[in-house]
Amino acid sequence: MIWRLIHYRPYSAFENMAIDEAIFRETIRRQKPPTLRFFGWRPSAVSIGYFQDLTKEINVDRCRLSGVDIVRRMTGGKAVYHRDEVTYSLAAGKSGKLFPDHIVGTYEKISLCLARGLSLLGIKAQLAKTNAGAPGGKPEMASACFSMPSGNELIVAGRKICGSAQTRTQGGFLQHGSLLLTFDPVETAALILSPRAPEPSEELRRSVTAVNDIIPAPVSAEDLSMILQKGFIAELGISLSEEPLTPDEKALSRQLVKKYESDAWNRERKRTTGKSG
Amino acid sequence: MKVFPEDLLYSHEHIWVRVDGDMATLGITDYAQESLGEVLSIEFPEIDAYVERDEAFGSIESTKAVVDLIACVSGTIVSVNEDINDDIGIINSDPHDTGWLVVIEMDDMQQLDDLLDAAGYHDFIMQQESE
Repeated sequence: MIWRLIHYRPYSAFENMAIDEAIFRETIRRQKPPTLRFFGWRPSAVSIGYFQDLTKEINVDRCRLSGVDIVRRMTGGKAVYHRDEVTYSLAAGKSGKLFPDHIVGTYEKISLCLARGLSLLGIKAQLAKTNAGAPGGKPEMASACFSMPSGNELIVAGRKICGSAQTRTQGGFLQHGSLLLTFDPVETAALILSPRAPEPSEELRRSVTAVNDIIPAPVSAEDLSMILQKGFIAELGISLSEEPLTPDEKALSRQLVKKYESDAWNRERKRTTGKSG
Repeated sequence: MKVFPEDLLYSHEHIWVRVDGDMATLGITDYAQESLGEVLSIEFPEIDAYVERDEAFGSIESTKAVVDLIACVSGTIVSVNEDINDDIGIINSDPHDTGWLVVIEMDDMQQLDDLLDAAGYHDFIMQQESE
């Protein structure tokens, strides 16, 4: 099976979320093969999960002072500070049989692809077996996505290295996730609120790791995304064909940027530009 | 052990339906709540909103995914389960009864003919799990 590949490139938070949604909607509408996309964030940004309350989760003033954009994702999960990382996104319809028709199985399969890629760097990543919602999870930093691994996400030596989030509609799923190149627990704790954690940055330092912190020679975002592509190819036996966004996807993403920039969406979760999915 | 109550109808999108006259109560199935894991949030439609069959009437979030809730009958939303606002855990603990989601006043009862009975839904789940 041939998937479309969109190579790594940084965009603004609003463009990134608009492009992901446009690809997802067009993939379902036209029953296209999956698209695997890699991207970065410029400027840095905090993304929040679809159901999160921005004012309760994020230090909005601090973000503004630091020039950090804030955007609401269409996927679930918790807040993520996107700074020095590679983000992957995978949009797939139901036509293919590569992925099971349920959340956990999809997570597991994608995690195996990412782990396979990381192994090429000598990183031994494993699937986390704990669940964020299960008793025994750590509620103190519950606002931040990277604070707790959930089932079938990736950990290295007990510390989370990849946080992912997913949305499913009748026609397919979109999953995106962040692999940190470096991690700044102090800045993360300053931007993402954690009122119940006495020392949030220390908690994050203990529970999160990053690619360039555990390998001897640092890799660039472009290098890491190339390595991750190889993981998908090897794990799933697929081929990747580099293709740009279609004219319809470009037009739709331009329209959707307005939604992702709007306070109506980011503060109130109102869909001002069409319905997702 | 998944539960498939005999008195309900089921959709391929893992929604159950309890019919009383032209009123249909909808919820997610035991299989769906087990697949989702712990439910964290839910987005309900407005009362009096019209929902089309096969369209989303809301969305539900578990620990890591947002999933559309797909209506299996068309009609007007006449009630949503306000108890869920107090204890969302009932969707996981009692999905077929107190964890119901919405009541729809149906305008085409024939749509019920396309739904599965408990045995049919059980077979559908078994087939999905074997793929």
